[in-house]
Amino acid sequence: MSYAVETPKTPKAPEAPEAPAATPAARTARRKALLQWIAVHSLGVAAALFFVLPFVFLLLTSLMDDQQTLTRDLIPHHWAWSNYRTVFEVPGFLTWWRNTLLYAGLGTVLSVVSSVPVAYALAKFRFRGRNLSLMLVISMMMLPPQVIIIPMYLFWARQLDLSGTLWPLIIPLAFGDAFTIFLLRQFLMTIPNEYLDAAKVDGCGEFRTLIKVVLPMARPGIAAVALFQFFYAWNDYFGPQIYASDTPASWTLSYGLESFKGAHHTDWNLTMAATVLVMAPVILVFFFAQKAFVEGVTLTGVKG
Amino acid sequence: MPAFRRKSAAVLAATASIALFASACTGQSSSATDDASKDTTITFWHGWNSPGEAAAIQADVDAFQKAHPNIHVKVVGGINDDKINQALRAGGSNSPDVVSSFTTNNVGKFCSSNALVDLAPFLKKDGIDPAKTFPKTMNEYTQFNGKRCTLPLLGDSYALYYNKDAFKAAGIDGPPTTWSEFEADAKLLTKPKGDSYEQLGFMPNYHGYETTTEHYLAQWSPTYFDASGKSNIAKDPAFEKGLAFQKQLVDGLGGFTKLEKFRASFGEEYGDTNPFNTGQVAMAMDGEWRLGMALAAKPKFDIGVAPLPVPDGQKATHGKGYLTGTIAGIAATSKKQNAGWELVKFLTTDTDAVVDFANAIHNVPSTLDALKSPKLTADPRFKTFLDIAQNPNSTTTPASFNGGQYLVSLQNLGYDVESGKQGDIKAGLARTAQEIDAAIAQAK
Amino acid sequence: MSTPYTLRAKHRRSALRTLAFLSPWLIGFCVFFAYPLISTVSFSFTHYDGFSPATFSGLKNWSYVFNDYPLFWPALRNTLWLVVVMVACRVVFGLGIGMLITKIKTGVGVFRTLFYLPYLAPPVAATLGFVFLLNPGTGPVNSLLGDLGIPAPDWFTDPSWSKPALTLLAVWGVGDLMVIFMAALLDVPKEQYEAADLDGARAWHKFRYVTLPNISPIVMFAVVTGVIQAMQSYTQPLVAGKVASGVIGNSGQPFEPGYPDKSTLTLPQLVYNLGFQRFDYGSACVVALVLFALSMAFTALLMKRRGGLIQAGE
Repeated sequence: MSYAVETPKTPKAPEAPEAPAATPAARTARRKALLQWIAVHSLGVAAALFFVLPFVFLLLTSLMDDQQTLTRDLIPHHWAWSNYRTVFEVPGFLTWWRNTLLYAGLGTVLSVVSSVPVAYALAKFRFRGRNLSLMLVISMMMLPPQVIIIPMYLFWARQLDLSGTLWPLIIPLAFGDAFTIFLLRQFLMTIPNEYLDAAKVDGCGEFRTLIKVVLPMARPGIAAVALFQFFYAWNDYFGPQIYASDTPASWTLSYGLESFKGAHHTDWNLTMAATVLVMAPVILVFFFAQKAFVEGVTLTGVKG
Repeated sequence: MPAFRRKSAAVLAATASIALFASACTGQSSSATDDASKDTTITFWHGWNSPGEAAAIQADVDAFQKAHPNIHVKVVGGINDDKINQALRAGGSNSPDVVSSFTTNNVGKFCSSNALVDLAPFLKKDGIDPAKTFPKTMNEYTQFNGKRCTLPLLGDSYALYYNKDAFKAAGIDGPPTTWSEFEADAKLLTKPKGDSYEQLGFMPNYHGYETTTEHYLAQWSPTYFDASGKSNIAKDPAFEKGLAFQKQLVDGLGGFTKLEKFRASFGEEYGDTNPFNTGQVAMAMDGEWRLGMALAAKPKFDIGVAPLPVPDGQKATHGKGYLTGTIAGIAATSKKQNAGWELVKFLTTDTDAVVDFANAIHNVPSTLDALKSPKLTADPRFKTFLDIAQNPNSTTTPASFNGGQYLVSLQNLGYDVESGKQGDIKAGLARTAQEIDAAIAQAK
Repeated sequence: MSTPYTLRAKHRRSALRTLAFLSPWLIGFCVFFAYPLISTVSFSFTHYDGFSPATFSGLKNWSYVFNDYPLFWPALRNTLWLVVVMVACRVVFGLGIGMLITKIKTGVGVFRTLFYLPYLAPPVAATLGFVFLLNPGTGPVNSLLGDLGIPAPDWFTDPSWSKPALTLLAVWGVGDLMVIFMAALLDVPKEQYEAADLDGARAWHKFRYVTLPNISPIVMFAVVTGVIQAMQSYTQPLVAGKVASGVIGNSGQPFEPGYPDKSTLTLPQLVYNLGFQRFDYGSACVVALVLFALSMAFTALLMKRRGGLIQAGE
């Protein structure tokens, strides 16, 4: 699976500094603590450099002129901000944005709407075959898309005449996405049954219980799966490659970006500017939705 | 699930997949029943995508639409053979009616599988005799086993580009005519710098853009298949000699690893920073279109063009080269084949259209009339390519039942040889011949 | 109220209700999972090129893939390499970073975000970036290594370094594992460390006898999901090979995946190569089934090892 289950959890606040003590033993302990602080944080900075420097290099390269990208100089001789404008002038670039937003946006809405009732049933109903259903959901979640691509492609292209569009990627999401179902189910498991029982005592049917009681409580979980689904569609390369690659009007950012350098005879500077632009929204969304991300996934995650 | 229900579910699913099979075979009706004089829209796919070339083919299509105001053409550019292959199978509303491909590699597959319709009836209807219209080689590479499913749409020939200033600086009089002269010149022109190069005489690696196996091998006049259709690469010594020479070149110019590292610093092949334009390499094996592109990039040196060298013993055949070309055909899945034919006919046989397009993208014209046309505004250097195209010793790669797959297999052997992974070229050729035969058997 | 009659009606009603809630997925399961899977199996015994009608061909495709298809075994070998080395590196590094973040006292939020960000980088973008960064000729990484006098490998252009380069890319995006491990580490009971401290245990012993036993289920989870992920590697190796080989234009020359020297081939790429480049749908389905069998074997392991995944909260 391309997105892992995770359990972010805010680490405990730094411990309060120890009460000052004058004994030599306490002083050694304090010095040891300080040395440890330095060691840990230097390691942290080193690791941060490893994680961040690639982004910095990409940014720098995206601001070079095309002659400089073939040299070893790392700092742009003159800052070619115009690269970003040039990228938007590449034929099709705006279309890729539109298509990606369509695939990611519509796909996310459809998958959440269709997955919520399924996840609810799997989490809260008792019925024969429930464990089997859940196992099948997990199997679907783990299935590489390539396994069934031949019949699926023939189905969409020949039966429904939809090759050259993104619909073969969007429509299936209206029938429940395995990963979304699984994660939502994990989340809904944590909602105490008492709330549901209370709603039923008030005369709510299952559907109204779901709408009136469960959905408001599940908002963080839904936000989290929506984000995951959105990121998945944003990043998807294989799907657009199979269904949309022969129709430039249907390309998405991920697919367009790959052929950007070769197809548009551009050099690394423009390619890197496009790369930065494709990365930017994902990172921005993360910053704005970090809370939903963390909150929602804390409980859905797989705990030890 | 009870066993009974499980069984019936399986039966149901099996029936469903059989239904899929059955319907999967219906897309091939090849009836040209549309009326080409009615108002209609057809889709045309081509591979050109650099701005100048895309504009040129659009102008060509515009000229067609002017002549046929009732036929509207939706043009989709930048399409490669994989995509054409996929779309010709899929059919459907987004699929093309007319396709063109940069290579002749897939003609065998297109013709034998009826993916592109047989053009003979159309040609007959309009009284066009291909033998009297197109040059001989082009006439041949557009058909397979006697079936003509494509027509040539401009041709390509390959030659040697050289940097005249660099030659002067190195004290070399003129372009090499034999491979040993070439090797000596390439070494003279190479100026190492640290673990890299200030200037490389020639980029011999197979990934060096146009330095592919088939482009090299054409200079040894190879025979790819024997009379029975089996791979001939292990029997014809041309292959061993060609591969061995390239390996010798790789080793002599710094070794595979060093060259590959240098290659990674090259700019885009079709961009202004192509390594020949930038002076990173002093000689290049490339197609005729490079001349126009290189001049457009305004390099700081004088460009020379000559036929590619020949093996030392075959000096008399100097002047030959590898030929291929763009082809055009009509999709069998198209429901507007008559309208499609009007476009194909115009693009491939209208002398003015062919000449204008050839002038615009600096390709070799593909009809006999166009080759003779006074309107052909060719750079004097361009004549080299026209001569290669008409040289009787020039060769192309033959069409095969499974398209260009045999070239991919051979190319893979080439990679193994140049990197030193396959030391015994003879054994490698024998193994690859087997691989090619197995792949063709599998495709049949 | 609870006469047998009404009870049965209630049962029926609740069964119908369950069915109604599950219906989107049930349709999805049949149309987008069961049917194509069965169809893939039947295709694998069929000669089908998309043009002529499909014909039954017995085991011919299976024999072709295993005996004559030159890309199959290299792809399987690469998969094994990735499963062993890439997964190990990711788990060890992820655990290390997870432990580091639990020790960091100042600015933990900033560090956590920075460590997590690369995981979010879209795969195509990240791969393009790494091919550029690791360009042996002009990339900043080799420039820096060169300045430091360290011999730099040729990364994506050298068959023996392309998989390590892919591993580096995967390790860079280790944020997901970091978060999982971080949570698991914070769940280890404090008393156990205190008890170990009283015994005078050294750091390594604390890790070995306290930390590891407590987090081993999570490590197991990370390993198995990592194996499944590694087997399914598609985008990164394909894009890296294409870009590094220089063959990403739209010329007629097809790009056969695997550059350099088949070293970046993986099983999913073979499905693309056979199905959408060679148009041998039958053989593509054979590879698809091999991939399916491997994926499901490890998924079964995951479900068995972690029954909690399913039963949790019942």
